[in-house]
Amino acid sequence: MSLAISAPSSRAWLAGLVSHAALIVLTLLLAYLALRAPNFLDAQNLTAILRQSAPLAILACGLSVVVIGGGDDVVSGGIDLSLPAAAVLGAGIISYQLSVAGSGLGTALLFGLPAVLAVGAANSLLVVGIGLTPLLATLATSVAVSGLTKLITSNRRINVSNRAIDWVRDGDIGGIPASMLLALLVFAGLAFLVHRTRWGAHLQAIGASRAVASLTGLPTRKSVALSYGLAAAAAAVAAIAILARGSGSSPGSEEPLLLEMVLATFLGGAFSRRRIVTVWGALLGAVLVTALSTGFALLQVNIFWVSGIKGGLILLVLVAAALDERLRR
Amino acid sequence: MTAFALPRFVAPLLRHSLILILIALLVFFSIQAPAFTAPTNLLTILESSAVLLIVALAMTLIIASGGIDLSVGVAIDFGAVFALIALKDFGAPWYVAIFAALAGAALVGAFNALLIVGLGIRPFLATLGTFFIGSSIQRIYTDGGGPIAFRRMEQGFRDLAAGNIAGIPMEIVIAAVVLVGYYLLLERTNFGQRVHAIGLQPRAARVAGIRVGRHVAVVFILAAASCALGGVILAATLRQFTPLAGQSYLLDAIAATFIGASIHPRLRPNVPGTLLGVLFLGVVANGLNLLGLDFNLKSALSGLILVGALALAGLRGRAG
Repeated sequence: MSLAISAPSSRAWLAGLVSHAALIVLTLLLAYLALRAPNFLDAQNLTAILRQSAPLAILACGLSVVVIGGGDDVVSGGIDLSLPAAAVLGAGIISYQLSVAGSGLGTALLFGLPAVLAVGAANSLLVVGIGLTPLLATLATSVAVSGLTKLITSNRRINVSNRAIDWVRDGDIGGIPASMLLALLVFAGLAFLVHRTRWGAHLQAIGASRAVASLTGLPTRKSVALSYGLAAAAAAVAAIAILARGSGSSPGSEEPLLLEMVLATFLGGAFSRRRIVTVWGALLGAVLVTALSTGFALLQVNIFWVSGIKGGLILLVLVAAALDERLRR
Repeated sequence: MTAFALPRFVAPLLRHSLILILIALLVFFSIQAPAFTAPTNLLTILESSAVLLIVALAMTLIIASGGIDLSVGVAIDFGAVFALIALKDFGAPWYVAIFAALAGAALVGAFNALLIVGLGIRPFLATLGTFFIGSSIQRIYTDGGGPIAFRRMEQGFRDLAAGNIAGIPMEIVIAAVVLVGYYLLLERTNFGQRVHAIGLQPRAARVAGIRVGRHVAVVFILAAASCALGGVILAATLRQFTPLAGQSYLLDAIAATFIGASIHPRLRPNVPGTLLGVLFLGVVANGLNLLGLDFNLKSALSGLILVGALALAGLRGRAG
């Protein structure tokens, strides 16, 4: 890498092109959809994309904090698979309180949101206190939490009609959909904490090398524990977004969110210059994943083909990123 | 580190806590549900764990090499559908159908190997992409995801699930053969040692002269091919191909592998540990079933038992 900086070769323009290949592929794709898909650029469709992607964006931003603090090795690094399940638990409890128990929104939130945070505390305890691998620990809590959700909601859909929740679904402030505002708030808060504060710099150092960070005297255990707490806080906000998007809670809505959340977060790494997971990359990844689904729907691509094409395109972006890494070595 | 000050006699107990918890569960279930200890039920536990064991062993090999495979479900499904096509459309005998299944699933593994070794994408994302593409292919092929039935299946193939050898159901025999094979491969050969080395320190392994890329490619192809046997069992049991059926084994296979790793002295994925993990999941599922609990309560309990057992097993690291 230092060679490329000190002595720009004749291949420099090529390397420059390749280093942005992921972004270029993404732009070309969106441009294609904009030209070919009828109404893709309509204000109505664009807001629809933003509204749809809110829960995914919030969860992906939350996951990025855990990955940044734990390192991006998938097997031994930081990951939190329980975030979608925790968010759906929150949505389930809130909708149960509103529609079945008949309590007010304040009470419902008072029951629902702490439950989501408790999942984060359990993850912190398992990963930091006991020292389990994050993948195993959060996989186990996610199984337990989905079970609890089934128990609370009796595995049934619960409809919710509440003015505040409906506003999150349909309302906007200055043209920006309310649910996307929630996502932007989470994004801004987490991005500020991780990329603009001393705590965030420490967290990134811990993620890059736990051993070195610990030798330098950084409070690794406390920081990593807090990263799971922050992710859970994001999941608590996502619970509201999920509740609003579905006008209630449906069993099993965590399953499609899980893979898309992981995908959006790690795909975000392809957009960063150093190929690392970042909060803004996760946001971009989430919007990209949703935009692709919506674009294909507008193009009236056969629904059976959609996930295959999506997978192929995502691999294309990743190949571009991997190629760049190889050129730099 | 001082958060848990444990008395000295607790340490040896904790070292084997997962096994102790499993024994405690066995005792509890046999008292609470008398049918639990009936030989037929114990056989049922093994029988219903067979496919998961095969998939979890494949996952163990991959995780030992430092990767992960989210597309094992696709490999299972491809195995099942290739076998079924060979039987139904070409009238092939059962052993040819098995060969077709292995080849079909190996294609999935080869695609993963191409992405990971050839193109340099990380295993997690590469296999996630394979999963998306593989599921799409199944939806396109089955025109939306309906099962393909084959009722008049050749007896030789049907016997792979319904038959038995000396009273032992065929699924258990197949899973046991795969188990022994993986044990010898991973723990008793040079290849297995090199796979562990790659998983622990890929750079050191490369410096030591191990052809890392070639080994990783073999690992992914081999793992996918062995998942095909799971698909064959599923196809023979149900006498049909159910699209996307393999996906349900993914999380359990990962869980079993990591449970197994948690009993290893150096927390490495290992074949005996994975067997313990699969049995643990199988016993919990079966026992809770026999207690006759409500479905929703059951799923909550099984999750909580898993978290509790892992927490206790994990405490071992503190004590030792």
